[in-house]
Amino acid sequence: MSEQETRNQSRLVRGAHRTLTGLHPAVESLLAAIVGLLIGAALMYLWGYNPWKAYWALFRGAYGGSYEWASTLARATPLILTALTFSICVRAGMFNIGAEGQMFMGAIAAVCVALFKMPAGIHLIVGLVFALIVGAAWSIVPALLKITRGVSEVISTIMFNWIAVFLARYISRTALVDPSHAERTLRIPVTARFPIVVRGTDFSYAFFLSVFVAIVLYFVLWHTTLGYEVRAAGLNPTAARYGGIRNKRTMMVSFLLGGVTAGLAGATIIMGMPPSYAAFGPAGFPELVNVGFDGMAVAMVGRNHPIGIIAAAVFFGGLTAGGRVMQLYGSNPVPLEMVHVVMGAIVIALSIPELTRLFPIMVGEGKRVVNALRRPKSAPKKGGSA
Amino acid sequence: MNENSPPRDARDSDGYLLRAEGITKVYSDGTVALREATLEIHAREIVGLLGENGAGKTTLTKILSGLLPPTSGRVVSPRGPVRFASPREALDFGIGMVHQHFALVGTFTAVENVALSHERPFSALRLEETRKRIEKLMQESGLHVPLDVPVEKLAVGEQQRVEVLKVLSRSVRLLILDEPTSVLTPLEVDELFALLRRLRDSGTSIILITHKLKEVQSVTDRIVVLRHGELVGDLKTSAATTERLAQLMVGKAIEGETTAVELSADELPRGTAQTAKTAVKAESVLHVADLVAKGNTGEITVEGLSFDVHGGEIFGIAGVEGNGQSELVECLTGLRLAVSGTATIHGTNILGKDPRAIYRLGVAHIPEDRWRLGLVLPFTLSENAILGVHRWKEFRGPFSILRWGKIRRHVRELMDRFDIQATGPNAPAKSLSGGNQQKLIVGRELAKDPAIVVASQPTRGLDIGAAKYIRDLLIEMRNNGRAILLVSADLDEVLALSDRMAIMYEGRFMTVCSPKDLNREQIGMLMGGVACKEVVG
Repeated sequence: MSEQETRNQSRLVRGAHRTLTGLHPAVESLLAAIVGLLIGAALMYLWGYNPWKAYWALFRGAYGGSYEWASTLARATPLILTALTFSICVRAGMFNIGAEGQMFMGAIAAVCVALFKMPAGIHLIVGLVFALIVGAAWSIVPALLKITRGVSEVISTIMFNWIAVFLARYISRTALVDPSHAERTLRIPVTARFPIVVRGTDFSYAFFLSVFVAIVLYFVLWHTTLGYEVRAAGLNPTAARYGGIRNKRTMMVSFLLGGVTAGLAGATIIMGMPPSYAAFGPAGFPELVNVGFDGMAVAMVGRNHPIGIIAAAVFFGGLTAGGRVMQLYGSNPVPLEMVHVVMGAIVIALSIPELTRLFPIMVGEGKRVVNALRRPKSAPKKGGSA
Repeated sequence: MNENSPPRDARDSDGYLLRAEGITKVYSDGTVALREATLEIHAREIVGLLGENGAGKTTLTKILSGLLPPTSGRVVSPRGPVRFASPREALDFGIGMVHQHFALVGTFTAVENVALSHERPFSALRLEETRKRIEKLMQESGLHVPLDVPVEKLAVGEQQRVEVLKVLSRSVRLLILDEPTSVLTPLEVDELFALLRRLRDSGTSIILITHKLKEVQSVTDRIVVLRHGELVGDLKTSAATTERLAQLMVGKAIEGETTAVELSADELPRGTAQTAKTAVKAESVLHVADLVAKGNTGEITVEGLSFDVHGGEIFGIAGVEGNGQSELVECLTGLRLAVSGTATIHGTNILGKDPRAIYRLGVAHIPEDRWRLGLVLPFTLSENAILGVHRWKEFRGPFSILRWGKIRRHVRELMDRFDIQATGPNAPAKSLSGGNQQKLIVGRELAKDPAIVVASQPTRGLDIGAAKYIRDLLIEMRNNGRAILLVSADLDEVLALSDRMAIMYEGRFMTVCSPKDLNREQIGMLMGGVACKEVVG
């Protein structure tokens, strides 16, 4: 009787699991976004806010007009790049959390263009190249540790993030500090700034650079032997080795490419951020903090696909931009932090299809625990009879 | 060798300990692993379970120890039928199994590992108590292991002893050992057998799974032989001769009982084979000399092999799996570093080179494990069809851009030529059936136009049609003058395809000969490790 019940139950769970995992990834991400928004709404309701009004304000603040769109796309710019960092390494079978640190180093490298003069345009390009080189360089040590010593890239990149954060702070307070404003670094010279697309906003041409990089990486991953090798090694390293692919090389390449995009992300923030065009390093880099980590969420929602990442970044950028409007709106405004709650809920919701696989296990374990507690300790144990 | 065994009468009066009645096991993919097997285990005896790969030895013991449920049939104890939902229930009942691959936590000490096997949810950890119990157990059984060293630091033999201790600490009445000697040195084997005898004398029954004839004869009281899922023999060790066991294990000697698909000579295109044979032997393509290689656990698994494979011949290597065949193939295809020796293709050294360099010399490799090695399952057909050849000029344009148009055309050709059933070049490889997956691999490798094909278990798990198709392809390649190294645990396949064959046992060739020179009984003995002189003499 009870056996029959559990069998039905598990069939239900299996069916749900099959339905959920059989979905197209884009639909899955969309569902996760809706679930995340619903969870956010429930929390707002519990705390006495009006979720409907808040979301309306958020939506209008994100996509309500050209100014709002400009603000959203400006937020999306670095997110696209840091998401690429994460997703390239996932494609290669690794979990690179180092985007944050590599981005900090890229930002500091970009500020260095303030130290010399060059013609407009070239100055910008030199700054970008410098940033991407430094970003890539910052990823070399974790990559080498992984390849030669087998150190988990999760651990090493997290530690390198902290080194980068404090090193960047140190440099911004000493070598690169603005003598007249102690709270920030030197400003990026006019010749090295990204031109602004929509006057009066911070939407610069850096966005198009991000999109371009994403498209290039899509092409590299799916249309070159290099990308083929990276993806093969990520999905099945032993088969890749059998196919003559040098796994250590693909690891190094994907780490370096990730460092490049993360370094660029840092540069786009500093070189495309009016009005100051400087890093507020001594104040703790409020403009940089968490962009690398948010990029991981963007990569997951974008399903580690460059094109998906662009869409996801525009969504997350909209949440951030709209959240700023939301927190000022109405008599009982919802704080900006609620946006982060929603983002977190979306990432968790993405894992629901996989989670259903755990349900039968959890049910089984739970029963065993209950049985073990019920059974008197000294009672003779029998193997059960049929 | 039977002076230690208790008198037969005493055993009979004890009755049986456990009886498997009419056990049939059909796996979800339709493989029939066991057919109506009935086996009785008595108290105080060592039963040897003998058989080739896939004979159903492990399946039978897994059913006895609760790891697998039988499809039909039942397991009966003197107190009535028993059904175990998990190995833990079987352990509570007194049945413990030591698997071929150990289930130890590498960073835990022996004491911690044993304690772990006693764990119940929410019970307190009593390491001191466990230690005392183990020490007592070690005294009684004469089985000694270092207790305070993480088990990953121990030698394989010692790790096995920890496994045995783990099971014994649950005071089992029936101990099942799955191929326990495959990872042990000869000295360790002797120690293990001495221990098994002591355990038997102190009242434990033991099932020993093995394919080694000598071992089974030296330590057991009774031998049960399985072949293709059927129990074909149950005889007292004292009454069993090596010849008889070999016959039972390899088959054909018993009329009317064998249901396995036998490859007869006329089913295969032997006609063409004869012409190829009479042709002048082409020069040696692959030359191997004194090759030594280590297995994953660090023991020597290939012990100084030397052989040549010529153009226009199939050189078959038969033998029970785990006798060094995989390591040999991996050395020759760049997946494993050899310890010493030489291997050349057309005179060019291949040892120590990576797979890509070896493929460039004209090697095609059909790997033994198509899911782990041969395919990237989430990849499409197209993507899988260029694995290993993705850097070739035909598929790679300027700037390393992949020419997907050409690749798709190539895949369509492969699908036509090798009869691969799939919805199209963009279908994911995991959507294909096993046979079509294997055809994809074989097609990819043969399309390389290789000088030598290294085919490892090329037809494993395939239905008869797909298997025959792949065998025909290999013969066709041979007739086109290519060299083929065929490694297979399927004896019939090696016998039917090979021009010359070797039988591999514990890293060595027992013999190299023509398949016609040996009868099945001799082959069975050679596969079981009885040396060639004894067989012929």
